[in-house]
Amino acid sequence: MKFNEAAVFKWVVIVGVAAALVIVVTLLMRPLAGALFGLVLVIAGCVYGYRWTSQKRHELAAKK
Amino acid sequence: MESATVSVGHGHADHHHGPPEANQSSRIDRQTLGILLFIVSEVMLFGAFFASYFFLRVVVDPASWPPEPYELPVAVAGMNTAILVSSSFTIHYALESIRRGNRAGLKLGLVATWLLGATFLFIQINEYVHLGFSARDLSFGSIFYSLTGLHGAHVFVGLLLLSFATIRAFRGHFGPKAEDHLGVEVPGIYWHFVDIMWIIVYVTVYIL
Repeated sequence: MKFNEAAVFKWVVIVGVAAALVIVVTLLMRPLAGALFGLVLVIAGCVYGYRWTSQKRHELAAKK
Repeated sequence: MESATVSVGHGHADHHHGPPEANQSSRIDRQTLGILLFIVSEVMLFGAFFASYFFLRVVVDPASWPPEPYELPVAVAGMNTAILVSSSFTIHYALESIRRGNRAGLKLGLVATWLLGATFLFIQINEYVHLGFSARDLSFGSIFYSLTGLHGAHVFVGLLLLSFATIRAFRGHFGPKAEDHLGVEVPGIYWHFVDIMWIIVYVTVYIL
């Protein structure tokens, strides 16, 4: 994935959908449940990001 | 030694004036790298404000949040969120248009984005006027105005960047090649960042 406007726009959509889910959970249950769900999504995003960057590092190392 | 230095210096002066060319990555152009590094620093700035917010909310632990008798206009802010999110779609449309060589689409997208951003800022200021509390009212008031005000300042800067890009678009600048529309691409990336930050601010401050 290149760092350009289109890539950042995808993140707007991803964060928007995640925020909508957190809002739904908060309204259906209570703020603490929404906050915990949001935290789970942030951790999942961090894990996904870490796996993506390590895969990219391996690709670059293989090219060298 | 001295003569060698003089001859090298003289030969160099024949071909090149001023400092040497800056080294540049082949993977990312310097403007995009610049905005990436700027956004990383901005994430840290917002992170500090969010840390203060959660410290006041969780560690200081008031009986209710927002403290009685204050209320936040969740519906109005929700509508404002929709306005700002839609502005990300319009700036994306502007960039997709110029990538296809559609200058009218670029202008339309930029003007629409600017208007949506200005509307967001106007509603935000109007909200401040009618909130009924100020930054002096408890730590809640301080952190509310700090966080939303910090974001509002970023929207203002984004509007300035969009103004420059829009004026340039109407003067016929920018082209379909990637290096010919960096003047829209970089403000576009910044605008998306401002949008993402508002989504997080809205969910954190108004919803949770």
